[in-house]
Parts: sequence; structure tokens; C-alpha cells
Amino acid sequence: MIQFEGVGLSYGDGPPVLKNLSFRIAPGSFHFLTGPSGSGKTSLLRLLLLSRRPSAGRIVMFGDDTTGLSGDRLLAIRRRIGIVFQEFRLLDHLTTFENVALPLRVQGLPDSAYRENVTELLEWVGLGQRMEALPDVLSGGEKQRAAIARAVISKSELLLADEPTGNVDPELSERLMHLFAELNKMGTTVVVATHETSLLKKFAVPRMVLKDGEVRFHD
Amino acid sequence: MTETVQAPPQKERRQGTAPIVPVTSVASRTLMLLVTIMTFLSCVTVGSVVLIQKSAIGWSADVGREVTIEIRPMAGEVIESNVRTAISLAESVPGIGRARVLSQDEVEGLLAPWLGRGLDLTNLKLPQLVVVEIAEPQALDVGLLSRTIATVPGASLETHAAWRQQLNVMTGTVVVSGLLVLALILLATILAVVFATRGTMASSREIVDVLHFIGASNQFIASEFQKRFLTIGVTGGAIGGVAALMFFLAASLVVSTVLPSESSAQLGALFGRFALGLDGIAAILIIVPVVGGLTALTSRLTVRRFLEQISS
Repeated sequence: MIQFEGVGLSYGDGPPVLKNLSFRIAPGSFHFLTGPSGSGKTSLLRLLLLSRRPSAGRIVMFGDDTTGLSGDRLLAIRRRIGIVFQEFRLLDHLTTFENVALPLRVQGLPDSAYRENVTELLEWVGLGQRMEALPDVLSGGEKQRAAIARAVISKSELLLADEPTGNVDPELSERLMHLFAELNKMGTTVVVATHETSLLKKFAVPRMVLKDGEVRFHD
Repeated sequence: MTETVQAPPQKERRQGTAPIVPVTSVASRTLMLLVTIMTFLSCVTVGSVVLIQKSAIGWSADVGREVTIEIRPMAGEVIESNVRTAISLAESVPGIGRARVLSQDEVEGLLAPWLGRGLDLTNLKLPQLVVVEIAEPQALDVGLLSRTIATVPGASLETHAAWRQQLNVMTGTVVVSGLLVLALILLATILAVVFATRGTMASSREIVDVLHFIGASNQFIASEFQKRFLTIGVTGGAIGGVAALMFFLAASLVVSTVLPSESSAQLGALFGRFALGLDGIAAILIIVPVVGGLTALTSRLTVRRFLEQISS
């Protein structure tokens, strides 16, 4: 369960980007996060990722109040969340396999402990033949599938995606959305920020609409 | 963007797990070159200080093993008789080993740098010099020797004390100056490493951000970068140290084989055989880990500060 209670966010002394947000996201749900440019979608995703602290209110993630959390306890919660970006953000000097395995390496696991799982996941996302390829030689769709694999390799309970289809063609966008849907069916809570109306029309997914710093839910 | 299927070229494949922080980059190569140069300068400074100090100690010891009696010609005195008396009296003082008068050739040799060679000195009334070797410095009472020698007409004792004092002052000045230069080089190294580390971290910002997003702690990220900087520091330090040892070896070879014999002899008089010796090599071997460790420590603090700044 993810719960926001009166959450607000401002950058420095600037005006509030998000105002008094109160909502719940049920485990295993799938939501589109939409709203006009500058409405605060990325800011909300950062709060969900716990990479920013709210200026007001409190955020409860997986039953833990994150207010005032720091150090190992905060890291432990963050490792249950995966994120995918529009610009992929793969490390150029690492192979597809190494990029996907990175979250497990930072947890101190040895190569032997995750080799099988990473290989299996890469096969599942259709990159079984591209495991040793560097990002430079991957297509946009392959990069995004590698980024998604990286986001879920730690068996993330919450998968966040910030405009994940922004750098791929429409056909591939749909395939990626099906991939998110598959992960959701397997129990992962998914929040995809997008402004692509074609996807919003095609996939019957509840929407969180951000406008003027406030959020509204539409089924 | 259209997805295309490409066969992966062989060169994109590699074995083993790559380090999270890339092994080589422009910034890391620059930092290694910087550490190499700074280590070389530090080692050359320390080596030179050791060389000068050793030579000065050698000069001082050589001079300290002897004193000189000067016997001036005096009207009504037979100088040869006074020389024999002075030798006899000097050798009777406890702590003195042997005393001998310098030959005409030796005196000419001493005057040659000022008067040139080939001059006939027989018509000049030159003082006679008696070299007195000190066998047991602890047993010698210089005051007693001086008073004893003063009983010989025209004789006086030269203990070289003033010269040795000047030598000690000069050596001390060189050592302090060398240590000051070393301190400045190390300070410059620290500042340069701070700037180079900041540059490396700025150019690696994407790596840091990605690691943060996937749940890496600052401690983990710092340790990954520190491993890289430690490698750079130790490698650069080792190259600089070896280069400094090669420099002194080359200098020693040049002095002993390439330079004309007169120049070589003059340099030899100043710096011995221009050989560092075990203590000089030990000093250089200490400098290498010091610079390497300093690089690693400075980078560690800079990385931590960088991570704290971007996390706040």
C-alpha cells in the first residue's frame, strides 16, 4: 500500500509544485499518471521513488512511514521500487547483462547469485541474444526493455516509469505497455507517467491526472 | 525511433564483469599523469636533500678528523725546528694520532686554484702546515692542544670550527628548504587532486545518479570511486617513484662516465659519487605510498563531499 497524506512539494522558496496530495495506490494496481507539461508528473514520481522528501505531509510506502527515515531503512524501501526513464539511462560502459544486474551488484550479491535470474529476465524481455552488447549498439526499444529489466530485477513491488515510450515508435510503445501490463499481472504495482493519448485510449487503465498541483483519479 | 535488429559485432563483447566506474577516462588519465609528475618532483626533492645532507656529513666528518697547525716564518727562528717541535708536542696530547708536515708539492697543490700551477714557490716565505690526525675525538682536549701549540713561536691551531659551523648552517638551510619545497609540492598535489576529482565526479554524474536511482548507498558509490582513485594514486605514485630512481641512476652514470674527468671530480667532491644510497632509496620508497595515499585520501573526502552535496 502506498499512501500520501497532505503531501506538498516546493523547490526552494518557489511556489508549490504539488499541493496537499492525499491518495492511496493499492498493491498490484496499474495507473497512468497524466497531466499537462509542467504539472508535476516527474516531481510526483520522485516523491514515489523517495529520491525527494516532501515539503509537507507524509508518505507511507509498503506500510512504513517514510517521514524522517534515512540510511539503511530508507535504502531498504527504495530497493523495493524500480524506475524507468524516457532517456533509458543505461551506463554506456556496461553490457546489457551488467546494466540489468546493477541493482543486485549494489546490494553486494556476487555474480554467481544472480547470473541465472538476469539471463532468464533478459530472455523474457527479448534480449537473450543481446546480453553482451553495449548500449551504443542497441536500438531504442532494446534499450528501454533493458531499462525495464533493470527496474524489476530486484523483484520490485512498485515500478515507476517516466514517459517510457517517449523515445520509441508507436508500435514499440504498445509492445512496451504490454510488457508493463505483464509485469503488473505478476503482482507489481505500476505507475506510468505519459502524455501519449493513443496509449491512454488503447489501454483501459485508471488514470491519475495532475493539474494545478492537485491529483484526481479517473477509472 | 524505429527498432532495428543488428547483429552484435564481436568487439562489443567482453568477458568478466566490468567495474561500475570506468577504468579509463580523460579525467582519470589526467589525474594519473598529475600524480606521476608530483611524485617524481617529490622524490627528486627528497633524494636531492638526502644527497646533499650525506655529502655535508661526509665533508664535516672528514674535516673533523683533522686539525691543522700553521707555523709562520719568524725572524730569528728556524722554522724547520719549530715544525718538529710542534709535531712532537701535538703527538704528546691525548687523543692525537699522528702529525705530519705538508710537503712542498702538497702546499703547491693547495695554492694551485688561486695561483695556478708551475709557479716557483721556493722564494716565497710561506707558512708551514702540519696536519694533525685525531685518533680519539672523545679523548682530545682542543683547548689543551691549542695552549700547547701556542708555546711554539709563530704556531697557531686551526680546528676548522668556523668552517664546519658554516657548513652545518648551509646543510640545515638546504634540508629545511627541501622539506618546505616538498610540503609545497604535496599541498599542490592535494589541490590538484581535489580539482581533478571534482572534474571526474562531474563527468561521472550520470553514473552517480543511476546508482542512486537503483538504490545504491552513498557509501557504496564512494567506495566504487575510491577504488578507482586509489588505483590511480598508487599507479601514478609508483611510476613517478621509478622515474625518480631512474633519474638519479642516470645522473650518477652521467657524472661517472659522460662528464669530463675534472667536472666529474668537482661534482664528486660536492656530492660524493652522486649515489643515493640505501637511505635515499628508502626515502623515495616512502614518498611513493605517501603520495598514493594522499591522492586516495583527498579523493575520498572530495567524493564524499560531492555525494553529500548532490544528496542534500
